[in-house]
Amino acid sequence: MFTYLSERIARLLLTLFLVLSFAFVILRLSGDPALIIMSPDAPPEAIAAFREAWGLDAPIWQQYLGYFVNLLQGNFGVSMKDETPAMQMALERVPATLAITVPALLLQLMIGIPAGVYAALHHNSRLDRILMGASIAGHTCPSFVLGLLLVLIFSVSLGWLPTGGYGTWQHALLPIITLALGGAAVLARFTRSAMVEVLGQPYIRAALAKGLTWRQVVFRHALPNAAIPTVTLVGMMVGGLIAGAVVVESVFSWPGEGRLLVTAVTSRDLSVVQAILLIVAASMVIANLIVDALYVILDPRLRSRGQGGKA
Amino acid sequence: MNARVTPVPLSFHRSRGRIAAFLQDWPPLVLVSLAWLAAMMVVALLAEWLMPYEFSQIDLRARLQPPVMFGGDWAHPLGTDELGRDVLSRVISAIRISLLIAFASTLISTFLGLLLGVLAAHFRGWVENVVLVLIDFQASMPFMIVALAILAFFGNSLSLFIVLMGFYGWERAARIARSMTIAANEQGYAAAVHDMGASAWRVYGKHVLPNIAGTIIVNITITFPGVVLLESGLSFLGLGVQPPMASLGNMVGYGREYLQSAPWILLCPSLVIVLTTFSMSLVGDWLRDRLDPALR
Repeated sequence: MFTYLSERIARLLLTLFLVLSFAFVILRLSGDPALIIMSPDAPPEAIAAFREAWGLDAPIWQQYLGYFVNLLQGNFGVSMKDETPAMQMALERVPATLAITVPALLLQLMIGIPAGVYAALHHNSRLDRILMGASIAGHTCPSFVLGLLLVLIFSVSLGWLPTGGYGTWQHALLPIITLALGGAAVLARFTRSAMVEVLGQPYIRAALAKGLTWRQVVFRHALPNAAIPTVTLVGMMVGGLIAGAVVVESVFSWPGEGRLLVTAVTSRDLSVVQAILLIVAASMVIANLIVDALYVILDPRLRSRGQGGKA
Repeated sequence: MNARVTPVPLSFHRSRGRIAAFLQDWPPLVLVSLAWLAAMMVVALLAEWLMPYEFSQIDLRARLQPPVMFGGDWAHPLGTDELGRDVLSRVISAIRISLLIAFASTLISTFLGLLLGVLAAHFRGWVENVVLVLIDFQASMPFMIVALAILAFFGNSLSLFIVLMGFYGWERAARIARSMTIAANEQGYAAAVHDMGASAWRVYGKHVLPNIAGTIIVNITITFPGVVLLESGLSFLGLGVQPPMASLGNMVGYGREYLQSAPWILLCPSLVIVLTTFSMSLVGDWLRDRLDPALR
């Protein structure tokens, strides 16, 4: 179990390292970072000081090392706009993004898993087809279209909810629903196919043959086994939520990380973009770590591995 | 899995009506989807002849006119936008741009994935490890964020944008190509052709590729709508296709300002996006069932 987890952690650290290297390479490819980060009209002394601070006159491998040393010291450069440290600016937006992504994730699980399980238990029935049709519609409908449709219905026509903004729970409702539906559709589809596959296995027939009730078979034998492949998807769903937040926050003018990223990209505020890139990479790494830990909890085979048990 | 396939006497199939048999193979919804996709192709190819106006032609006397059904007239069947540009012409032009990007990028992504996947399977060793690390990296970050970062660093142009979208989903194609090529190499027919003196190009191009083509085509039906969604999302944010060019996403993005007063500006391109990606996914599901029984 520990070998498994430490192997996974090593892989995730490698990913983090690659993301940072990626930012470094791209930053170097796109021109003089001093001019880009400091903005061209900065005073020459400031640019020279920046070059010295980031070691831009050193050979490239020293720069690469220096870049990591700087990052480890929490030095991410300052925003072009108002000279606030980029990392502080990016971190300030995290709570707003969490306020819609976490409820959206829970909502996805609450809709997607029961819908998928239900569809699988009634495989090839009319309701199964309707659910799966809805699922395709859900994940092919872009979130900005869905969001704007919801605004058109609930804010413009009915006047129940605000069209956008930040503050009360009413403001958060439409962004959460918009974010949740797409992911729930994918999850339902995936849960269904995992469940259909499990229900076709011989051990289900064996459990039925030894006289368990259908309910016991589903809850004790089918669901835990179908959960293993489904958990993989949760890691991907976190990525989907972060990408979705970029669009959804822009639709509803929600002041989160995604909206900051869009404004930073539009104004080419590179140090802010880089800080956000790191935050996203870190959250992906954490999400994947949680998924790996869940694997260990769900799959007894992984627990016995490394303790002399059967692989 | 196989329990569901019960042997049915051939005479049973023959006795069924021909239309029923046809509909069994080609469900009505799939036929409608194929028709829609074909229509989109025709519109994209013949855009110049189908547009009633130049897509960027401004007519300030005819601003924000509603579509025909909602009090407009036939001069602008789908109404006009805030600058009096004809929405129908803009949608036609946007379909061309969006499909061009989707086709070109899917092609790049599939080619890249196939190339790296086959290389990994052919050389194994460190080549394979490098490819696997690249795949992990690509899969570990939401592509939308990476794309935004690259657009921030490099700025935007149509060709750069197409190449960038070409990196979407290559890792899936590479994974499939790698594992299927390894499986093919173990099956012996590839080794047999190789022993008869065929070059590596011939083995992979003429013998292995046709065997994995079905799965790759199914993968294309996943990548294509993905690119359409990604492109329209980025264009919606104002970071994809730049004006004066019209894309489905940027029409929705700019139409958003007129959500209350002139919703038709954004509803029409939205509908085209949804119908196109929905059709492609339906066709993809249907193709998967036909081409790739192993994935069912």
